[in-house]
Amino acid sequence: MGVTSLDDNEFDDWFIESLKIYNNIHEYQLEHPTIVIEWTAEKTICVAGYSLSKNEILELLLPLKLFADDNHDLCAERDFKVVHGGFSNGAVHCLKHIPGTRCVVTNDGFSSKLLVWDLGGDDCDIQLKSASSDKGVKVASGLTGNPCILHGSQISDIQLTELTNTSIIVLLFPSIEETDSPDALSSLQFVSGSVFLACACNGDLYVGDTRKPSALQQTPAGGRAGAHWCMGVKTDLFSSDPSSCSVARLSSSSQVFVSDLRDLRAPVSKAQLDVQRKTTDNDFMKVTWAPALDNCLAVSGFDGMVQIYDTASWRPELMEFQPLFIHQTSWSHDSVLSAAVDGSVQVWDWVDKATTSC
Amino acid sequence: MPEIKVTPLGAGQDVGRSCILVSIGGKNIMLDCGMHMGFNDDRRFPDFSYITQQGRLTEFLDCVIISHFHLDHCGALPYMSEMVGYDGPIYMTHPTKAICPILLEDFRKITVDKKGETNFFTSQMIKDCMKKVVPLNLHQTVQVDDELEIKAYYAGHVLGAAMVQIKVGSESVVYTGDYNMTPDRHLGAAWIDKCRPDILISESTYATTIRDSKRCRERDFLKKVHETVERGGKVLIPVFALGRAQELCILLETFWERMNMKAPIYFSTGLTEKANHYYKLFITWTNQKIRKTFVQRNMFEFKHIKAFDRSYADNPGPMVVFATPGMLHAGQSLQIFKKWAGNEKNMIIMPGYCVQGTIGHKILNGQKKLEMENRQTLEVKLQVEYMSFSAHADAKGIMQLIRMAEPRNMLLVHGEAKKMEFLKDKIEQEFTINCFMPANGETTTVITNPSVPVDISLNLLKREMALGGPLPDPKKPRTMHGTLIMKENSLRLVSPEQALKELGLNEHQLRFTCRVQLQDPHSDPDTLSRIYTHLKSVLKGYTIQHLPDGTVMVESIVIKVSSSAEEPNTKVLLLSWSYQDEDLGSFLSTLLKKGLPSGLSSM
Repeated sequence: MGVTSLDDNEFDDWFIESLKIYNNIHEYQLEHPTIVIEWTAEKTICVAGYSLSKNEILELLLPLKLFADDNHDLCAERDFKVVHGGFSNGAVHCLKHIPGTRCVVTNDGFSSKLLVWDLGGDDCDIQLKSASSDKGVKVASGLTGNPCILHGSQISDIQLTELTNTSIIVLLFPSIEETDSPDALSSLQFVSGSVFLACACNGDLYVGDTRKPSALQQTPAGGRAGAHWCMGVKTDLFSSDPSSCSVARLSSSSQVFVSDLRDLRAPVSKAQLDVQRKTTDNDFMKVTWAPALDNCLAVSGFDGMVQIYDTASWRPELMEFQPLFIHQTSWSHDSVLSAAVDGSVQVWDWVDKATTSC
Repeated sequence: MPEIKVTPLGAGQDVGRSCILVSIGGKNIMLDCGMHMGFNDDRRFPDFSYITQQGRLTEFLDCVIISHFHLDHCGALPYMSEMVGYDGPIYMTHPTKAICPILLEDFRKITVDKKGETNFFTSQMIKDCMKKVVPLNLHQTVQVDDELEIKAYYAGHVLGAAMVQIKVGSESVVYTGDYNMTPDRHLGAAWIDKCRPDILISESTYATTIRDSKRCRERDFLKKVHETVERGGKVLIPVFALGRAQELCILLETFWERMNMKAPIYFSTGLTEKANHYYKLFITWTNQKIRKTFVQRNMFEFKHIKAFDRSYADNPGPMVVFATPGMLHAGQSLQIFKKWAGNEKNMIIMPGYCVQGTIGHKILNGQKKLEMENRQTLEVKLQVEYMSFSAHADAKGIMQLIRMAEPRNMLLVHGEAKKMEFLKDKIEQEFTINCFMPANGETTTVITNPSVPVDISLNLLKREMALGGPLPDPKKPRTMHGTLIMKENSLRLVSPEQALKELGLNEHQLRFTCRVQLQDPHSDPDTLSRIYTHLKSVLKGYTIQHLPDGTVMVESIVIKVSSSAEEPNTKVLLLSWSYQDEDLGSFLSTLLKKGLPSGLSSM
């Protein structure tokens, strides 16, 4: 529920609290809710609808005010501007920008079809097909080198597709063992130009290298059985230190395990979060690292709120921890952007009680 | 084909200079007559030469309609009516009529007194212009003349703002002016019924914008005021007499109470009284909450906001002051500004657009040193903030309005064409209607398909049906003969006899007679028989009779043969037919002029 949908009295209550907890907060009302927010350039994001029929994909230019210095810049401009728009015939459950290009790739969450869109061009340029399945496909964009995307719906069908002008190259990563139940993929992300991590829904982590296909390394999660897991990765492209890549895995039983590339089997820290699960849709569970703040991660998808945690105080033994900050209304987010089911997109930063400002 | 033409006038799309010409059913209407605030020369006025190269506009326009009192919608009105020349009716709502002249006069003062311009309207012109105004009530149909009628709908946005429906016969156009689909603290949201106009004309300046919510902007405003006051500073808020000022006052009043703030809030004298007076007068134009509480207490009589006295400006300690005028060009707000500008603890919050040349405009552009009238320099150390609370429809709002009104065609004005391609596609796809975006000066013609309902008399219908032939097929049009009687607003199709009876007229019969010469060696009666045989073979399916009285009849056409004693072989055929059989008659005369074929028998 966004700020806009509060009635006058509720707003009055919220406002007083908000003065203490937020530095800045802005809210924008999209016509239809989005579960994707993806940066396409320094100041533009892409959002898209997820209804079952036709949906809009919008590229929005963020207002100057968000980039201006807080107190000393006069910034009248505080609205989003629609830069480009297009229509998708199906839902958009996944949208990833391909760095170095003006393209984004989308998937509807129900089929294996991947659509590549040229922002600013007409409609969809290329259609790619993953190995067929009737589950949605997870996508990761290559970070460096030629534009490419990594995609798959199960560990056994992860493919790399390079988008060059002349041809589409596909590489396959067959799984190491044949298992009876193929491991469904929950998250996929590159940690360097050629190394990527895949997180299965049961929490197992796999490491792959596009230079050495067919050599996926598996690391079991060791978490609670029966839970659904997802992953959030923070990388530093300029550092070759394996400890600079943090991997957080979030389970549906409200546990978070934090590891780094030095040893994925032994989590650096663990936490039991105090969140109640109010929804059964695993798709909405998300854990992401704040790119600019050390050790801060955001968890959402349980109860309609975003919770921010400071992992610096976490330890290898599983313990309970309280969040730094709780923000209402979010389903999917980036560090300062969040979107809610009522179509609102919030841009916010919070007041750090420990220090003077964030 | 019946058509409606729409032409937006004027140049420039940044601030929006609204002036739209509509031609419908032979009537010409001007919608809004705004001033472009960015220009100092004639470019600020709409280009009326589009209507006529010279002379007055009166004969070219049936009426002018003004949507609301913002200067970019009515700022050029006195210029148009008194300097270019227009004497016809100018329609606007009651609140607009009351407030318009005040804003026009204020604006005139800045432009002439402060900027020294000469080609501008005078105070008298404003008065003369307002004499031509005919006020409108909401949802009331007004007959401009026998054929043209208009109706105003609530638009939100500012006090008295209206959307207007223009109707001629069964064709109609709705113009939105500026509107707002979400209610605020003192105004309701725009509303219109499913009137299904042929064209819905909407402003689209913010169509490609997704605005930061009003709540978050309010929060920012309150936060800034609160922070300034907490650090002991003073906050100056220059405002126009009516409009957002009331909204901001209600907001501050609510929070001062909640947050137990002690700093005083002031409202400059004259402002409260004027506002109170207008809001009381036009209470039906505010929102439901205000109307409800008005019975117990006047929402505009504030508990925490007091009347200002100039001496208070020198009081130490924090305070908040609302003062006019809004652009800091003169008067109380400027006086206060001069006193407070030098202290960096203070703040000024500009809640609206400022015309070029005013101090408001200069400080919003970051100017830190101002030259005042007495040649003294004023240093601007206080914090300058701009916050726009104006409520305009964005893309979402436009879609909502289309759903409400269900127009047959959509027309977007005052937006940037390139940026609106997406919105146009969206509208066309979602509603399967055409969406037009004319550039300024460009005419859009929309073909309408008005259906004209006509009653048909039962007798006529029965008669036509009784003529035989296949049963009526709705897909196949059938020609029928009748008389159309148009009386008052009804249209009836009746048989000619009935029409004559009703109108008390006598029926006249028209008969044509024609003589055709023919060379034929036979006797007159034989010639006639030959003609009879000839016609029977050519005109199959027609009733042809050879009568004993010496005539041949084809349907009702009579043919006689005669000759003179001197030239018995030169036959003269006399053809006579009534008007109803004109086609056949002409055909026969042409046929017979060709002569009779030779191998014809006499029988």
